[in-house]
Amino acid sequence: MTKVQNGDGRIVPMTCAGCGMKMNPHAEKPVDPVTRADTERVDAAVSALIEEIHQCPDCGNVQSRRV
Amino acid sequence: MNDQRPLYVPVILGTTRSGRMSAATATLMVAEIAKRPGVTTDLIDIATISLPVDDAGEAIKDSRFADRMSSADGLVIVTPEYNHGCPGLLKHVLDSCLKEYIHKAVGIVGVSAGGFGGTRVIENLLPTMRELGLVTIFWDVNVSKVHEVFDESGALKDTAILKRIDKFLRELVWMSRTLRYGRERIPVDV
Ligand SMILES: Cc1cc2nc3c(=O)[nH]c(=O)nc-3n(C[C@H](O)[C@H](O)[C@H](O)COP(=O)(O)O)c2cc1C
Ligand SMILES: [Zn+2]
Repeated sequence: MTKVQNGDGRIVPMTCAGCGMKMNPHAEKPVDPVTRADTERVDAAVSALIEEIHQCPDCGNVQSRRV
Repeated sequence: MNDQRPLYVPVILGTTRSGRMSAATATLMVAEIAKRPGVTTDLIDIATISLPVDDAGEAIKDSRFADRMSSADGLVIVTPEYNHGCPGLLKHVLDSCLKEYIHKAVGIVGVSAGGFGGTRVIENLLPTMRELGLVTIFWDVNVSKVHEVFDESGALKDTAILKRIDKFLRELVWMSRTLRYGRERIPVDV
């Protein structure tokens, strides 16, 4: 499992693929696994995969990553 | 935050049935949203989205639908009541996205031939909205006896519904604007 966090546990903001702006990480959504590969990546402590959702404050673009 | 960008609040027409009477309601919702300053909208007819049926969820994303959900700040879902639930194809389409919906506002419009204005389908949809990451508002629009509300051509016969639509949209636009502020400005990890 990739942890994309600063040493202080803060989320590292993604960069907007549309305009290059630093995005705002506004959600950590629990997502149920679908495939066998997904089940192997489940975070046991929360019984789900976690998908970070980021939105660009300039152009509104939405990006996400599973951590 | 770029406050110049208008809000985008599309209307999803949630049935593919030929002769569907929910279509007139969806068209009315688009017209009422379009009157609001700073808000853009359009109709997303699920009959125009052909998704495979041998899989489900994000694996069968339709890129056009997903792009529109990604750009949306709020959603209006117009759903008929089929055996107290929503049409299966509406659920199939909604299930095809996830990240695109997170922290966005949704309002539900129930349409029925019966007298309860789709109340039961609306209540049924609420847990799904929550799991999809959408934020529900506390106003609904209930179109009871839809054949009496619109004529054969789809023209509105009973204008009493307009006041309720106005309250519903005020709340939806406020929630859409507020959540956009949060999505773009307020990090989850503070
Ligand atoms: C499969 C099916 C189930 C239905 N179940 C209900 C129901 O539970 N309650 C109700 O008031 N009307 C029910 N109706 C009638 C619809 O409310 C009616 O067709 C109305 O016009 C809205 O649906 P439409 O957009 O498909 O026309 C049902 C219709 C179908 C096709
Ligand atoms: Zn951007």
